[in-house]
Amino acid sequence: MRGMDIELKDVSIRFGDFTAVYPTNLKVNAGEFFSILGPSGCGKTTILRMVSGFSNPTSGEILIGGQSMAGIGPDKRPTALIFQSLALFPLMTVRENVAFGLEMRGMARGPRNDKAQELLDLVALGDQGEKIPDELSGGQRQRVAIARALAVEPAVLLLDEPLSALDLKLRQHMRSELRDIQRKTGVTFIYITHDQGEALTMSDRIAVMKAGVIEQVGTTDQVYNEPSTAFAATFVGANNMFKGKITKTSKGEAEIETKYGLLRGTNPQNLSTGSEAILFVRPEKTLVLSGKEKAENTIDVTYERRDLEGAFVNLHFQREDNKFTVHQTNVDLKSFDKGDQCTIGFDARAAMILPDGELADE
Amino acid sequence: MNSLRSSFGPVLSLVIMGLVGVWVVGMIIGPQLIMVEQSLWNKEIGGEAAQISTRIDRLYNEVDTLAFDKSDAEALDESTDRTEKIAAITAEIDTRKSTITELEATEVKPIKVYSFRNYTLMGASHFFIFLKTIAAAVAVTVIAFVVCYPIAFAVAKVATPGKAAMIMLFLIIPYSINELLRIFAWLMILDNNGVANLILGWFGFESIPFLGSGSGVFIAMVYAYILFMVFPIYNTVETLDGSQIEAARDMGASTWQIHRKIVIPHAKPGIAVGCIMTFMLSAGSFAVPNIMTRGIAEPWFTQLIYNKFFESSNWNTGSAYAFTLVIACIVFIFMMMRFFGVGIKDIAK
Ligand SMILES: Nc1ncnc2c1ncn2[C@@H]1O[C@H](COP(=O)(O)OP(=O)(O)OP(=O)(O)O)[C@@H](O)[C@H]1O
Ligand SMILES: [Mg+2]
Repeated sequence: MRGMDIELKDVSIRFGDFTAVYPTNLKVNAGEFFSILGPSGCGKTTILRMVSGFSNPTSGEILIGGQSMAGIGPDKRPTALIFQSLALFPLMTVRENVAFGLEMRGMARGPRNDKAQELLDLVALGDQGEKIPDELSGGQRQRVAIARALAVEPAVLLLDEPLSALDLKLRQHMRSELRDIQRKTGVTFIYITHDQGEALTMSDRIAVMKAGVIEQVGTTDQVYNEPSTAFAATFVGANNMFKGKITKTSKGEAEIETKYGLLRGTNPQNLSTGSEAILFVRPEKTLVLSGKEKAENTIDVTYERRDLEGAFVNLHFQREDNKFTVHQTNVDLKSFDKGDQCTIGFDARAAMILPDGELADE
Repeated sequence: MNSLRSSFGPVLSLVIMGLVGVWVVGMIIGPQLIMVEQSLWNKEIGGEAAQISTRIDRLYNEVDTLAFDKSDAEALDESTDRTEKIAAITAEIDTRKSTITELEATEVKPIKVYSFRNYTLMGASHFFIFLKTIAAAVAVTVIAFVVCYPIAFAVAKVATPGKAAMIMLFLIIPYSINELLRIFAWLMILDNNGVANLILGWFGFESIPFLGSGSGVFIAMVYAYILFMVFPIYNTVETLDGSQIEAARDMGASTWQIHRKIVIPHAKPGIAVGCIMTFMLSAGSFAVPNIMTRGIAEPWFTQLIYNKFFESSNWNTGSAYAFTLVIACIVFIFMMMRFFGVGIKDIAK
């Protein structure tokens, strides 16, 4: 395992009066595929640039492999950064691009071309070495950037939304390739994205970030199943929401008074009676109740429309301005007409009550 | 042509084409052809022709003297003597005038002889000055590049936008002053009793004859043409994606390697344009060497051309000299393009 761990200790950065990243503590384990997930402008690139050494934290300290990186430039750190724009060298061939770092380290032409070939084979571009980057497709350019970064044998690979320019099919393909490369090389990956699907499929762990603050760090399961803030709950995956005030708490559960009546859910953060809160329930845990079915919580709604995704279907309901979604597998589906009166419901165990807070847009 | 028409319409594009045509023929091809033609012939002033022109000159002098005599006679009182005298003088003037007309008829036909003689007339000392001028222009180009590349890079990639604008402003302001004044400023600085030597004197150095040694020409020229080097380089460096520089640094490239492998290859067309312009301007510069050498140091080739045209009035040899310089410049352009591996198309960008 050649990956190294990274530790941010109270790291913050300000540009003039603007604080791009508030004091942050974070530990990324060696050989881990770690994603930083957050909306545009929340400071993801800024964190990556501090880790790679292109900007210096205003306060705090960054450690890589246990060593402080203070005063160490990007060329001396065991990191390699893949830029949001890839930044391939357009005047060099693909092979020269990949061999660039080795050339800078003074490796002779023969061995460095062999090494470059090895890496091009790794990213399945073995026969494209003599082309220039402009002659490649988006996905191929992507892989050249990865090969080029891996050539210098970094312990940490930093990837700044490298797939954002690709179309959906290619993106899905590249996700698994990236994951493969990470496993094969054992390098620590810090992967930046604003696409929650990408983060969930590839990562070991995820940090959810909002406006310069890391809101939650956890495994993909933890972040999806146990979001710690309203923002994390709405940014990662979808949720049906009910805003209200807690009226009663008991044994890890709570009761919340909403516009549509009293609802029960789990109370993971032990919120006290009287606090403003939101109850979240995932669409796949929400049911459409027919006459005889029962659930602890029920809401009367109006059927709007459905989105068919093939194997799955999303049913959309409405009550006043509030929209609710139910996610079902495409088996023995009951069909509705627009305007039908229905009841949706869920058990208390399926729902989660979190403190009121800012939501992700959408 | 079609694209011109589609963007300007038929009338306007005809006007544009016409103006461009007039400009190319009238300002470039025409004068060059006339100069080449001039450089290819000589007026043969053989022994007889020379005699004739001296005779004509003498006859004109005699006519002038006679005209004075005549006006003297006319001033006398009315008398037969006076009338005779005037008639005699008038007759003499007329005979001389007819001889002049006769002689001039034979002289007017110039004896043009076409040959390459004008090109072979350049003596060893002038040829040496020609070589020296070319070498000096190359040196000015190299110095200007060394000075301007860091400036252009700093303005394009390092400075904040505000600072970049300031630097540009400071570069451009001096250019709003007349070129001659700018050169005179350098004259005052570099003169034997000038500012530079004064400062050297404070530190106890001997004064340096900047002007006499010819180094003054270099300094003033680098300064005079600095913008022509800065701007093309700045324009190309500007377009370089900054993350390429960072990517190179990330992969361990030193500052020197970043410039050699990333920035300079990208800026090549701009560097080529800057070098070509600086070379042409300095090889063809007249004002700078004329003011900065002032007869103390050896002249530049352009001063020789000037002398041929306007001091010895030998336009034919002057043209030959001038055309030689044009050829040298064209050769230099092609060498530069070869050296940088750029084509006309890259430069046009
Ligand atoms: N050099 C800088 N000077 C001033 N402000 C900066 C600088 N770099 C980043 N910022 C600001 O910091 C904030 C975070 O920027 P950053 O590039 O990290 O966003 P991001 O999360 O990577 O967004 P995206 O997903 O759009 O790439 C932005 O508001 C940006 O304007
Ligand atoms: Mg970014």
